[in-house]
Order: sequence, then C-alpha cells, then structure tokens
Amino acid sequence: MKRIVFTLVATLIVLGLVACGPQAADTAAVRDTLTIAIGAEPESLDPVKMTSAPAATVGEHVVERLIYMEEDGTLTPMLATSWSANADSTVWTFEIRQGVTFHDGAPLNAEAVRANLARFVDPEVGAAYRFLLGSVQDIQATGEYTLQITLAQPFAPILSHLSHSFIGIVSPNQISDLAADGTFEIPVGTGPYVMERWSRGDSIRMSVNADYWGPIPQIPNLVFNFIPEESARIVALETGEADAIMAVPPQDVARLQQNPDIDVVFQTTVRTIYISFNNIREPFTDQRVRHALNYAIDKQAIVDSIFEGNAFVADAPIVDAVFGHTTVGPYEFNPDRARELLAEAGFPNGFDMVLHHPTGRYPLDATVAQAVQSMLADVGVNATLETREWSAYLQFTSQPPDRAEYDSFMLGWGTVTLDADYGLFALLHTRQWNPNGNNRGFYSNPRVDELLDAARIETNPDRRRTMYHEAVDLIWDDAPWIFLYNAGQINAVRSNVQGLIHHPLENLSAWAASFR
Amino acid sequence: MLAIPVVIGVSIIVFSLVRLIPGDPARAMAGVNATPDFIEAIRVRHALDQPIPVQYARFVVRFLQGDLGNSIFSGRPVTTEIGERFPRTLILATIALVIATTLGVTAGIISATRRNSLFDNASMLVALVGVAAPVFWMALMLQLLFAVQLRMLPATGIGTIRHLVLPSITLGTASAALMARITRSSMLDVLRQDFITTARAKGLDERLVIYKHALKNALIPVVTVLGLQFGILLGGAVLTETVFAWPGVGRLLVDAILRRDYPVVQGTVMLLALLFVLINLVVDIIYAFLDPRIHYLSGRGE
Repeated sequence: MKRIVFTLVATLIVLGLVACGPQAADTAAVRDTLTIAIGAEPESLDPVKMTSAPAATVGEHVVERLIYMEEDGTLTPMLATSWSANADSTVWTFEIRQGVTFHDGAPLNAEAVRANLARFVDPEVGAAYRFLLGSVQDIQATGEYTLQITLAQPFAPILSHLSHSFIGIVSPNQISDLAADGTFEIPVGTGPYVMERWSRGDSIRMSVNADYWGPIPQIPNLVFNFIPEESARIVALETGEADAIMAVPPQDVARLQQNPDIDVVFQTTVRTIYISFNNIREPFTDQRVRHALNYAIDKQAIVDSIFEGNAFVADAPIVDAVFGHTTVGPYEFNPDRARELLAEAGFPNGFDMVLHHPTGRYPLDATVAQAVQSMLADVGVNATLETREWSAYLQFTSQPPDRAEYDSFMLGWGTVTLDADYGLFALLHTRQWNPNGNNRGFYSNPRVDELLDAARIETNPDRRRTMYHEAVDLIWDDAPWIFLYNAGQINAVRSNVQGLIHHPLENLSAWAASFR
Repeated sequence: MLAIPVVIGVSIIVFSLVRLIPGDPARAMAGVNATPDFIEAIRVRHALDQPIPVQYARFVVRFLQGDLGNSIFSGRPVTTEIGERFPRTLILATIALVIATTLGVTAGIISATRRNSLFDNASMLVALVGVAAPVFWMALMLQLLFAVQLRMLPATGIGTIRHLVLPSITLGTASAALMARITRSSMLDVLRQDFITTARAKGLDERLVIYKHALKNALIPVVTVLGLQFGILLGGAVLTETVFAWPGVGRLLVDAILRRDYPVVQGTVMLLALLFVLINLVVDIIYAFLDPRIHYLSGRGE
C-alpha cells in the first residue's frame, strides 16, 4: 500500500511542478499589455447589433462616432470637426475630419459616414437603438467631407444622440456588400486601437493603431477579459492578471482599499434608481399615498449604509449632470408625515402592497428592496417583496395597462445622452405607456406631456431648459415614483496604471493610459 | 437503439421548456430600451412568431442537415458557437475525470483494504466533505490560496496548462469523493465474497488477491459511475466555468438561458444529450469487458 501512496504523492508533485512553473512575465520590466476585466461579453461589435454597456466599452476603442461626449457632458468633435444647423434646426451640416483612414486603409469621408448612418436607420437592418435617430429623414454626402442630415422635424437632442457609443462609423468596405441582416465579427474603425482577435467567451485583443489621427496610445496592446463572477474579477485584479476591473461590489471595497497595490475609483453614473407605482391602480392613484411613501423612505440611510456613501440621494427624476435637471428634492425622511398623509387618504392602518424588484441587475438591488420594505413597514405599509429573473422581470413589467398586475416595481434608467428628453420622455410621457414605450407605471400628466413634446423641438437652449425645469417640478410633485438614489460606479485599478478614463456613462477607456 | 427516442424526447422537452420560461430574447438583449419594433423584428427574424409546432418542425429539418440555426444574441451559427467552446469543456472534463479516478479509486482501494484504519476514516471524512462542499466555495478557496496567497497559479482564463489546474481540481473533487466512496463499498462487497476467501486460502499473494481478483470485480459499479460522472462533468461544469472564467459550453448554456437565446439552448442541450447517450454506450461496452457474464470471447474469467 505504501507504494500506492508513494505513487500518488509523486504524481501530484509532478503535476504540481508542471503546473507551477515560473509565473508568466507579470513582473517583467516592460509592460506592453493592459488587461481590463469586465463582467460580460459584448453581444457584437457591429454598431447596428450593439445593445449593451460592455459592447460600448470595448467598441469605442476601435470604432469612433461623429461626436464624443466628455466626462462632464460636453460634446466635442470626434470624426466630425464642426457642425451647424439651418434656422429651424431641421438640416444639420457636419464637416468630416480630413486625413483619417480606417484600419484597413480606406479613407474616411462623408460618403463613408453616410453609408454607416443609413445602415443604422434602415428598418430592414433593425438596429435595436434605431430610435436614437428616429427623427432623421434623409442623409446626404454633399461634398467629399460634408455631410447633411435632414430631420423630419426639429429634434433638439440630435447632437447628443449622435454621440451615443452605438452610432459608430466602420470602414465602407465592411458594409458595402452586406445584406440587410448581414454582420461582421471584427469591426474595422478609425479608433486608437485595432481589433485583432475575439476569443469567444474569453477575451478580445487589440493593438495600437500607429496611424491614429489623435494622440497615439502609449500602451501597445489592450485586452478585455470577460470574467462574469464578481469575486473572480477581484481575485484576477489582486493577482495582477487584470490591471483594471469594472463593477466592484460595494461590500468588497474595504478589502481592496487595504491593498497598497490597488486603487479603488468611485465615479458617478447617469443612472437613477426608482420604485415606480402603478399609477392607475388603487391606492396609488391618490397623490397623498404616493407622497406618504416617499416621506417614509430614508434615502440617506440607504446611500450611507448599503452603498457606503457611493450613491447619491435623488433630488430629481434625472441625475444632475443631465441637461434640464433642476434640484426639486429630496423628499425628507419623515415617517410621521407619512403616517399623517396615509391617514388623510383613508389608510390610518396602512395597507398591503407588492414590491417587485430585480436581483443582481443593479448593485445590491435586492438589499435596497429589503430596506425599503422595512421602512414602509414602519409607517404601516406591509410590502411583500417579489423578484424575478431579469428577462422575466422586464416582460412582467411591460404589460399593457389592462394586464399590468403589479403595484410597484423597482427599476433604473441611465440618461446616456445627458439630455432630459432621453430621461423623461420615454419614462413619463403618456404616449409611452406600455407596450409602446417605457412608461411602465402609467404616469400621465397632460401638462408634462405638453412640455416634453415642446422641449423636443425647441431649439433655444434656455427656453428648453425652462420647459424641463417646469416638467421636473410637476413630476416631482406628482410623485409617480419613490425617488431613491442615483447609482455610483466602482472600478478598481492596479496602482501602477494611470490615465484610465472612468466615464459616467459606465465606460472604461484606456487610450490615454500608461504604466508608471 | 433506445438512443433515438431519448434524443427525440430531449429535443421536444428542451424546445418547449425554453419557450415556457417568461421573458423574450429581444428584451433580454436591449433591456429597458427594447422598442416594440425591435421586439417584433427579433420575433420575425427568428420565426418566433410562428406556431410552436411549426418552429419545431423547422428545427428538426435543420437539425437533420446539421444546422442548429443562429444565435439570437450574437447572430452567429450555433454550431460555430458550440464548436469553439466544446473542446475547452472537453479538456476540462477529461482532466477532471482523470484526477477524480486516480484519487478516488486509489483512496477507495486503500480505505477498503485497511478498513477502519486512520487512513480509511480520514479519507472517508475528506470524501464526505468533498461531496458536500459547494463547488463555488471550493473554487473560491482554491483561488484565494493558490492564486492570491501563493501566487502559484492563474485564477482565471485560459491559454496555458497552468490555467487548467485549479478548474480541473475543483471540478474533479466532488467526483473524486464520490468515486472513493463507491470504490470502497464495492471493494468491501467483493472482499467479503467466497472466491476471495478461496484465493487467500490457496495462499495467493495478498496483492494479487486485491488487484487481480477483487479490484477487477469491484470496478464494475465504478465504471458505471465513471461514465455517468463524465457526462455530468461535461454538462455540469457551469459553476466551475463561471468562477474561473473558463469559456466552455456550460457557461454558454447558462448565458443562453439568461438571454433566452433559444437556438443556443436547444443546440447545447441536444449536444449534451447526444454525448450522454454516447458515453453510456461506451460504458456498456466497457462493462462487457469487465463482467465475465457478458464476456463471451475469452476464457480469462475467474
């Protein structure tokens, strides 16, 4: 028997030796590859097929758009160097950057941009985000480097919509012969990095674009690894397998902060998290009830104790970086006021309701739902929590008014264009009631509708802003939601990496990064 | 030949089950931004607007031509998606099985022959823990110890042999524990039988008794379990693949279910079902080699 034990041990040792050879060149002097670990794999990097944040983060290193949105929301030239509109803002003229070539050598010109935008709006192609350019009627290349976009009617946020990560411009060679439902795996863009290899399920590799029109990145190679499991992502950062990771769970922040080799980065997002009432269902048709429930929630406690301060109590239905935001809240935490209002509304002993919430879609969403439940219990409202898996949850909350079987639901919305239109119109306009849009709580206020319609086509920014301020004010007072918090994002980076851009749009950009 | 109804049955069940889960692919993709247009477009493009029997007929016709359709999520052929990932899972499962068999059978034999010794008790305790320990926890502990603390092995990803070590140990542990327990009890059964007593009585070397006479007979249930385990390892590597970011079919399947990517779910489950059937066939053949009662060709039976 000893022999067996011996053989066993020997086998293990040999296995171990084979396996544990010297660690790969992690600590080598010259670092030429930056590795970023993200939680999910892009569905596609073909602009018309893109639907997710990971696709946006990876894609924007390779494919660029006409206009770039800076971290503070400023729109700056990217592939368009300048733009102007006619008097009623229905015809927009873009000057296209000269001397730019795609990674395959094809020149960038107005025709290339036209072909891309035409593909994006083609109903046959069926881009999920086609609605971004829903107002576009015609696209023409009127000169070698002049592009004209004609709108059916004025659409004020058109520029910020054109800055959306999904409206990328790829080489005309890539799309000229493509059928309507055709696609490609490796996009050929004009970006700072050239995509080389997509190892499905594992990683995407890129190398620097030596002919880039802007500042050429210092790090020659860029790798995006897909590590779905949060704790594994953290382990990968700790071991140095990844130089940066996205979406650190708040509960792991303290541990990472103790590690001298790791910097934890906090950044705001444009995402606001709310609990919507079913506003056409008793008792939520009563404004006093809606107000009461807003007063009942200690938003600050949620932010402080669940998110350790890395979230912000919502003071409007949109985050403060959004054009059109005005501070109208928060509803103070006042359980006595809540009880009073409930009594006035005829519920001195509260009532029963169901609170639907996702689990794992937003950081700590289920924990927040539990906190809300206990705060509601404190004013006599007995909320039962119900959760569904994400896709089922979306379907459940997408039912038309006569079939909507929910009292309330928790959801988040990112106003990614940093324009109030994107944040308010889709969620709160009466025409956007399920199943036509995203007004899942069936909120309706004719004056708000009027303002949102008017602000869409108003071209004077000051008048537009005033309209949104009025709308935000009305919405706040109507309280169709329990306004909760604006989510923060947490990334973590090895201390020897500098210059990463942690964008409020929840993109992590590496073109300006370097190793210390 | 029972394989054909099994495969047909699996196809019908998986086909209807994925369509019974609430949620739809367009919403899973575009999330809260899914417009009614987009939802409709996806339904039409993937024929999800057709009656389910029609969809099933289309699926069967294509399946017989070796076409599993296109992924709704990535737009790529399902055969390509599976083809890229299957070899990775196969490697992982094979190595895990080798580890499980080596460790499990060895420990089982030792335990059986030294019944109630310290080794027996210790190894059976370890085996019990091994069977009971959640794979997820195992994986994290191994990562923390070997990747974070000792810096010996990479925690995630693929590429080198070193990347294989932790996932395959994780995956193999539960099976090893099960194999150890099966081997032990099967060995104990055999050792109690008359022919062993006879073998010993005629003065055979104890080693010969154990390895030639006892082990060969004790292996029959072990091989059956081994075959089943291999099938389970191939399809059940989901957690291991997730924690170690190992891009195999297990993760493909789970992601596809979450995304309501019906063609990928169908294709992957069909593949796994076929493999399971195939492995069982192989097990039956090996069984015949091991069990003299099914073994007609040679006179080497005891």
